[in-house]
Amino acid sequence: MIDFNLVSDSLPFLLRGALVTLQIAGLGCLFGITFGTFLGLLHSGKNKIICWLITMYVILIRGTPMLMHIMFAYYVLPQLGIELPVFWAAIAAISLNSAAYVSQIIKSGISAVSSGQKEAAKTLGFSSAQIAWYIVLPQAFRIVLPALGNEFITLIKDSSLASIIGVAELMREGSIIKSRTFDAISIYCAVALIYLVMTTTLSIFINQLEKRMNRHVKN
Amino acid sequence: MLKIKNLTTVFGTKKVLDDISLSVDKGQIAVLLGSSGVGKSTLLRVLNNLEKCGQGEVFLDDKKLDLTTVNQTHTIGMVFQNFNLFEHLTVEQNITLALEKVQNMTPEKAHDIAIKLLTSYGLKDKGKSYVSQLSGGQKQRLAIVRTLALKPNVICLDEPTSALDPLLTTYVAGTIQELAAQGFVVLVATHDVMLLEKLSCTIHLMKDGKIIESADSKAFFNNREQYKKLNDFVAGTQEA
Repeated sequence: MIDFNLVSDSLPFLLRGALVTLQIAGLGCLFGITFGTFLGLLHSGKNKIICWLITMYVILIRGTPMLMHIMFAYYVLPQLGIELPVFWAAIAAISLNSAAYVSQIIKSGISAVSSGQKEAAKTLGFSSAQIAWYIVLPQAFRIVLPALGNEFITLIKDSSLASIIGVAELMREGSIIKSRTFDAISIYCAVALIYLVMTTTLSIFINQLEKRMNRHVKN
Repeated sequence: MLKIKNLTTVFGTKKVLDDISLSVDKGQIAVLLGSSGVGKSTLLRVLNNLEKCGQGEVFLDDKKLDLTTVNQTHTIGMVFQNFNLFEHLTVEQNITLALEKVQNMTPEKAHDIAIKLLTSYGLKDKGKSYVSQLSGGQKQRLAIVRTLALKPNVICLDEPTSALDPLLTTYVAGTIQELAAQGFVVLVATHDVMLLEKLSCTIHLMKDGKIIESADSKAFFNNREQYKKLNDFVAGTQEA
């Protein structure tokens, strides 16, 4: 049923696509977490206008599909004078999408850190930025690590949507081989297996990181 | 000497501190005593710039203090009721972080200060432990050490024995007395009469944001009626 010779011959192309998938998900995750953390910190602040703007951004992103964000980045932005190569259009869309979700995850982590610790840090002379960097964020990240892990696993899978605009990631490579060989079952099983290896490896890595970050918590 | 003059703080429409005036000499302990919600902790929080001061002035050695900068100058230090230790850091890092990042000390110098203080407070072997691995008494001592490391002139302790058993209360009383003996101005907010019995201090009875009576602790504990009055006052059954 599964043509292992075809899978073996297709493997270099599929792995090349998997590498692009990892690049998209990795960079999307990096920019998403950076921008999302920044938004999460601002959203936990007291400036009502900024909080309202971030809420609107989150509603807009969460309420529309990622496929539309990718289409927007690739087809609409050039009409507004911003032309991005297809690879970066995908990363921009995925990063901005991820940042909205990450901001809310980080915000919940920040609110879970006791206000007493923030007050103690203030009396010790730490500035607001130092309190965020040295006291709040390390603890907030530990608290939200499982949720962030889920978000990044979703990101690896959702990066397949970039195939719509022609990014040669894993799904796209698989579809090209399938249209050439017409052996959908062999190719898509191989593609699914590669996705599974990537997401499982990430899950194991996150579990290890979680254990390491929880070493100060009494069992 | 720490001198508080006519300090008033309002939350919304409620006066939480009403014309508070008191002075505490170096090496002396002032205890703010009263039941919950009378403004004891608020006074300590105002002095530590955790709440806005409405009116009034605070002087340290006749020099007027700008309460908005006390955290940066480390003039006044605070030991919190729930300790508020940094749970993701080790015992030693709880002390060295502010020394390195706020006072720009080298890690070696900060380490030396931390070890010296931890040794004096019986926590030397706990330097690499995390906060969750400490007992209540050890957490209390670490909270005091963390404040002391920054060398404040005034140390405020908010309900220092509320989370401790009677044996540890005796130990903490000894520590507070020691702080005063080292020349710190010590301000304690408490409703724990058992702690007072073990301290040589001035007691300021507080009610509805006001100091309604001040006297040496001996005056309360050497007189049976006064002692009963004190207990009733803390329980909220007497006007003082």
